[in-house]
Amino acid sequence: MTELALEYYLAVGAIMFVIGMIGFMTRRNLIVIFLCTELMFQGVAINLIAFSRYVGNLAGHAFVIFVLVIAASEASLALGLVVLLFRQKNTLNADAWSELKG
Amino acid sequence: MLGILYMRSFPAALPLADSIVNPLAILLLCVAAGIGTVLLLPARQRGPVRKMGGAVLAAAVLVLVALLVRAAGGSDTSGTGPYFWIFSAIALVGAIRVITHPRPVYSALYFVLTVFATAGLFILLYAEFMAAALVLIYAGAILITYVFVIMLAASAQSGDKTPLAGLADYDVVSREPFTAACIGFALMGVLLFLIFDKAQNIPVPPPMVSAGGGDEAIHGTTQSLGQYLFENQLVNLELAGLILTVSMVGAIVIARRRVADVADAFEPTSETITADMTPLSDDPKSIPVYGTTNPRQKAFPET
Repeated sequence: MTELALEYYLAVGAIMFVIGMIGFMTRRNLIVIFLCTELMFQGVAINLIAFSRYVGNLAGHAFVIFVLVIAASEASLALGLVVLLFRQKNTLNADAWSELKG
Repeated sequence: MLGILYMRSFPAALPLADSIVNPLAILLLCVAAGIGTVLLLPARQRGPVRKMGGAVLAAAVLVLVALLVRAAGGSDTSGTGPYFWIFSAIALVGAIRVITHPRPVYSALYFVLTVFATAGLFILLYAEFMAAALVLIYAGAILITYVFVIMLAASAQSGDKTPLAGLADYDVVSREPFTAACIGFALMGVLLFLIFDKAQNIPVPPPMVSAGGGDEAIHGTTQSLGQYLFENQLVNLELAGLILTVSMVGAIVIARRRVADVADAFEPTSETITADMTPLSDDPKSIPVYGTTNPRQKAFPET
């Protein structure tokens, strides 16, 4: 097994994480905001799998399974909350809930 | 993190010229990509400007890819074949479109594209099971939920065919694109600089014996992953199942809860029979329904 070019995979993961972060900060639709968090999860998952292959054990795969679990439960809970918020104010604008800020 | 790791293991720093890509080039490319992203983010009445932003961003990505391909051509490491470049290009273009497309449904569909490309990257890394799980869970389950909620909450389309017709204001105008792009691409520049400068010096640990203790290291295959999970990570696996169950129960309870109208709360009209949107049930084991407008519906049916 030849040595893996780790840095290219790390770069792809980092770029995807940053893209998701920019989307998280700029978009104002609640659903798209959560979609951007999923994008950040993807970047982290690429990093974990690449490190797992580089190091040569399977711990990274287990971490990615937990990332998937957390992403799934986050998506279900967050979308339930989004539906609840949408029923109250009939909008998906995140700024409509700005009275929640501390 | 990588820097600290590197500094501890190799006290004598290498000169910058040994890095794969010149850090100045990374900086310039990040600035160009940031400008392109700012121009590409949704905003009203900027059709040609958005096209220009897309061109700038595409040019920056192309230059970065060209630099990397040139650098990778000299080395004989695995994992940077043509498939890697194709998959990562698709993934990153899809990711850009996710955050820049004004319509949420298209954002979700571009995210599906990104998920498929990421699964391709996983297969290149010998993680077939994770690729399959990613496609099943993300593209199959999570994204379907997202698309359903988006369509549930979508406003009615108007008749005219202009590109931004029928879209709400909060989809069309992005919040603080310049600040966000500055922060994001500063982070990206630092990360890329660290990765390309230091990651090649991470020491490779000796190859570990596979979890099953087999004579041949069937690394990354589904079989060894299952052995590893059920021998080393059993408690964590059960914990993951518990988290999924708890979140499922929580999601059901949250989504069942009906929010009373604010107007109804102030002037209660006890005699109006509204359409019962929650099913009436005398089942004592049923889940409580809060805030219903139906007077015959008790808040806690089991009480």
